[in-house]
Amino acid sequence: MTTSIVVFLLILTAGAGFFALNVQRLVRYLRIGLPENRTNDAGVRVKNVLGIGIAQSKIFRDPVAGPMHAAIFWGFVVLTAGTIEILIQGVFDGFSYDAILPDPIYRFYAFSQDAFAVLVLGAIGFALYRRLVLHPRRLEGDKLEHTDAVIILSMIGGLMVTLLLTNAYAYLAGSTLIGPEKFASRFTAQTLGRSAVNPAFWSSVFWWGHVLILLAFLNYLPYSKHLHVVTSLINVYFSNTNGPGQKGVMRPMDLEAEVEHFGASDVDQLTWKNLLDGYSCTECGRCTAACPANITGKSLSPRKIVINTRQRLMEKAPLETGDRMEFVHPRLVHGEGGDAGAATATQVVTERLLDTYITEEELWACTSCRACVQECPVSIDQLDIINQMRRYLVLTESRFPEEIQPAFQSLERNGSPWAFSRADRARWADGMDIPTMAEAMERGQRPDILFWVGCMGSFDDRAKKITVAFARILKACGINFAILGQEEHCHGDPARRMGNEYLYQMLAKDTIGTLDRYEVKTIVTSCPHCFHQIGNEFPDFGGNYEVIHHSTFIERLLQQNLVPLQGEQGKRLTVAYHDSCYLGRYNDIYDAPRATLKRALPVVDIVEAPRSRDRGLCCGAGGGRMWMEERQGKRINVERTEELLSTGADTIAVACPFCMTMISDGVKAVASEVPVLDIAEVVAGQLSS
Amino acid sequence: MPNILVFAETRGSALRKVAFEVVSAARALADANGGGQVHALCAVPSGGAALAEQLGKHGADVVVAVEHPAFANYARESVAATLAERARSSRYRAVLVGFSAQGRDLAPRVAAKLDAPVAADATEIRIAGDSVVVKHPVYANKVIATLQLDGPLVVLSTRPGAFPAKESPRTAAVESLAPASDPGSEKVTVKEMQEGGKGKIDLGDAPVIIAGGRGLKASENFKLVEDLAAAFGNAAVGATRAVTDDGWRPHSDQIGQTGRQVSPQLYVAVGISGAIQHLAGMRSSKTIVAINKDKEAPIFKVADYGIVGDVLEVVPALTQAVREAKASG
Amino acid sequence: MTTRLFVLSAVSGFPAFSGFSAVSGFPAVSAFPPFQVIFISACLPGSFVKIAVCLKRTPDSESRFKIAANGAAIDESGLKFDIDDFASYAVEVALQINEKQGPGETVAFAVGPDAVQETLRKAMSMGVDRAVQLKTDASTYDGLAVAKALAAELKAGGFDLILFGKHAFDTSGGIVGTATAELLGVACVTAASKLEIANGKGTARRELEGVAEIDEFALPAVVTIDEGIARPRYPSLKGIMAAKKKPLETKPAQLGQPRVTVKGMELPPDRPPGRIIGEGVAAVPELVRLLRSEAKVL
Repeated sequence: MTTSIVVFLLILTAGAGFFALNVQRLVRYLRIGLPENRTNDAGVRVKNVLGIGIAQSKIFRDPVAGPMHAAIFWGFVVLTAGTIEILIQGVFDGFSYDAILPDPIYRFYAFSQDAFAVLVLGAIGFALYRRLVLHPRRLEGDKLEHTDAVIILSMIGGLMVTLLLTNAYAYLAGSTLIGPEKFASRFTAQTLGRSAVNPAFWSSVFWWGHVLILLAFLNYLPYSKHLHVVTSLINVYFSNTNGPGQKGVMRPMDLEAEVEHFGASDVDQLTWKNLLDGYSCTECGRCTAACPANITGKSLSPRKIVINTRQRLMEKAPLETGDRMEFVHPRLVHGEGGDAGAATATQVVTERLLDTYITEEELWACTSCRACVQECPVSIDQLDIINQMRRYLVLTESRFPEEIQPAFQSLERNGSPWAFSRADRARWADGMDIPTMAEAMERGQRPDILFWVGCMGSFDDRAKKITVAFARILKACGINFAILGQEEHCHGDPARRMGNEYLYQMLAKDTIGTLDRYEVKTIVTSCPHCFHQIGNEFPDFGGNYEVIHHSTFIERLLQQNLVPLQGEQGKRLTVAYHDSCYLGRYNDIYDAPRATLKRALPVVDIVEAPRSRDRGLCCGAGGGRMWMEERQGKRINVERTEELLSTGADTIAVACPFCMTMISDGVKAVASEVPVLDIAEVVAGQLSS
Repeated sequence: MPNILVFAETRGSALRKVAFEVVSAARALADANGGGQVHALCAVPSGGAALAEQLGKHGADVVVAVEHPAFANYARESVAATLAERARSSRYRAVLVGFSAQGRDLAPRVAAKLDAPVAADATEIRIAGDSVVVKHPVYANKVIATLQLDGPLVVLSTRPGAFPAKESPRTAAVESLAPASDPGSEKVTVKEMQEGGKGKIDLGDAPVIIAGGRGLKASENFKLVEDLAAAFGNAAVGATRAVTDDGWRPHSDQIGQTGRQVSPQLYVAVGISGAIQHLAGMRSSKTIVAINKDKEAPIFKVADYGIVGDVLEVVPALTQAVREAKASG
Repeated sequence: MTTRLFVLSAVSGFPAFSGFSAVSGFPAVSAFPPFQVIFISACLPGSFVKIAVCLKRTPDSESRFKIAANGAAIDESGLKFDIDDFASYAVEVALQINEKQGPGETVAFAVGPDAVQETLRKAMSMGVDRAVQLKTDASTYDGLAVAKALAAELKAGGFDLILFGKHAFDTSGGIVGTATAELLGVACVTAASKLEIANGKGTARRELEGVAEIDEFALPAVVTIDEGIARPRYPSLKGIMAAKKKPLETKPAQLGQPRVTVKGMELPPDRPPGRIIGEGVAAVPELVRLLRSEAKVL
């Protein structure tokens, strides 16, 4: 054994060992979080890793940074094979896959190494140019974070450069391993020229350089936001698997538990997965760039929520776990928004994630639109952290914007977030001859479908018109349906989104009781929030029903030619459809409302706002924002309305009564006359006779 | 022939409107039951005898004047004690006070002192044998209860406005009475009286609210709303969320689900369409007037009286009309 | 009174003996030279204040009422009951005073059938320390009878302050609080829209017609609470859980033979449906006429 092999093995062991220690430490930190089972649905998880992870599907949502990152990522994957080869060479000088691989495969491998080395170098160059010259807004972090990125990019660049130089000098030294497939290595060799002195020595120097940078890189990661290199695939694997139609389901709470707190005010009250999210965030800012609150100038930044969570974890976990490796982790401890973090152990103990890092104001600004979750390339769930912290505020400390107290109180007393009498709930149906479930049962009838009207549809004058329109369609199609009438009350979704899980569960369980009493199987509703809540979240409480949103239901009726439409052509309309978050991002329903418009209106142009479908901007009402004041920044509904109007549409279509309120208000605010219609109203307007 | 004792409420030495209402109610009650006497007790700093003419005009047979400098303010304990002592000393069938701020305070005190059954805020009173039967609006006027009070002497307070002042002229005899306890040393002392009217009336207290919405079109037009409020005199100004968001008015003026929830006697919605958020804050107002250009506006569904028209024209006309109406009486 | 409290708590360690100097014959604070009060209060920034809050359970005000079959009560089916709004303001005021004053106790009282226990729990979930139900078979409109039951219970309680709502949504009489004060023989301020308690004394503001009255009084006292004084806190789940474990005592109430009984209940005539009385300026005279003659608000 030569000295150099011994030295290499020592360095490798030290480097790998130190990395292993750090991995242990980081895993130990995760354990201060609450337990949560994330091992179910292995199939979905693998699929997510392949699609979102390996295929970089979400990365590509950014047409500029997407290919750049994919090049680096895939380069990394491919070059890892080469790295192993190089490490083996440390022990067995002159080792090559050539010896174990069939020739064509080896040649392809050899080519891939050089090809990706070049690709990665190009991408790194672009990344540095973008970061240092272009300064995209979403990458604006603090100085520390900036340095971190430059260090990482330089290291990756260094790895590529030393790889090519090692090969080039080896070629110059007469190595037979650098075949023509290693075109970049050969090209480098040619550039260096035959005149290079002692190429074998220089090849060895760059080989060592490559190995040392590699080990340095590996051990730098645990102290860097680029820890995502290690954790992101793992994070994607463990991400929420409540697949299509089930996304954004809030986790049920055990309200009978004997606990000191409900919800989360600090990192040890979050789950380990929330903490892993922190490790996986590389601060790309895509979440914040898509956040309606942030776009309109509010203090909420989903990126900051995740960074703060990690920052707080890095402060608190060493104390909690008795960590000896607790020296400063500056890259991971850096914050966003100027809070430098705790400087002393006492401060670490007295402070917490809530208030010290994340303010109440930020948490209440969230519209729960899920744009941040949708955009995150590594499947971080920012919204889950926000929701758990809202729960803490409401359930443990009873802290919330004072204007939502009337909503809570009305939900408790009147079963609606507005103080309207239960007795008036079915007033919209006066004279329409629509039976209630109770009436139908009394007559011995069993309606096929329950029309869940919802509170907006029952009490808001504008939304009542949508309700009536949809009921007219149902009647025109001869659907055997009923309503609950005065027996309907809010299912509690607004309370849940506003953190009041207690009130929510009370209302939800009561609603399930009513639905089960009438043995309801199928429910249609014109409200996406009711649709999501009853369809996706009730199963956690034993309420299982087929719930169909009216956009899908009308689309099906149209498809089956059941809707008696008048044949007239009418005037050509240009319609901009505004996606409801709870229909779109929560339930992947994008096409049904658009298809409904196309089928119902014989001559229509559907135009899309710059942000639409799964990138659609929230109207501003979600997450309980409907019942809160919007005092900071520009009003979200005005921003959204301006976008919709910028399409030049002569009609705006919506499929949600809350969007209806917000967009109608927005249209008024910008003094436009463009009508806002629900798709049910569009269809009802085309009914014959 | 039952005699009835009433408390004739004063501020300083001047009788309040409610005093005439109570005397009239007592007169009517006495007359309906064989014409007993109505005795009106007033507690004033001085000049009690001078009130006899006005009280007599409304049907008081006797004016009991209780004078003490401390009665410049409402010396609640002494007034209650004196009224109770008078009620005890002579045979009365009922003690009547008005359901005013003072009367609300006074009636239960007197009833407790006399250990007499008591009912508040009566809109109708009749004597039926050994009982007194009253109508009393309950549940914020959503239900009217008929209550029966059993006892030889009952204490009642009457709803202001329910028993209009009526003349039944006679010459009232004046008796003077010493206070039953020293009004100068009470457990509760009035430290200060702050005259209203100068400051802004709070939305929660105002009997009339004039609220403006986006239909006013521009910040400067909000003056029309303020002018109308000024014409009423006792009105506060409110606004919709759109208006406060646009900074035409402070957020504290916002009426609605996320702002103040109000229920004044009269609510005038000027250029307000009536979105659910707004209705949630004002729907329980007693009388709602809506002025709006769009006759389809939801506000007309809850309004008792609606005018379809341009607020910039209708409101100044209404302001003028209200001013004239106020001036004429 | 503060002086006595100081002596007792310092010497014998019985802070619960505070309050009710007037009932037990001790001179009220105003009888002491002012400097003593100032001196003592400077020594005792947070004296132990014991507050009683008397509650009522009433249906939600948005309810649409129906008359029960017997014609003398409302039909309670389908109605949601909660702590009365004014009583909830009183609870909030009590809690705020105790938070500001330092150590103290807040006790909720309610007269009525077992359903009021839910209301008392609600008050405890807001932060009231314990509760007492004075049990009756049904609620009554005889306010004086209720006041007697309450006074009998409160007499020995040693409370510095007894709070009520200005009136309750159901009976709408505002009788019980004031009558209770009268029976106890303590100071009473009704319909306070502001209340400050400091140094054994209270200052309250009352909104009269067009005038505000600022009252001063010595403790112990009864104060009935008007709206606008404080926004009642929303109980946290933590508070709700804690309330389940707080003591709730049930005692029979001594109501006696009721002398005020409900003979009937009826609904007032329906509010006429809204109508558009005209268009533009031409409709103004008709509006003014209606406001005058029909709505009687002008």
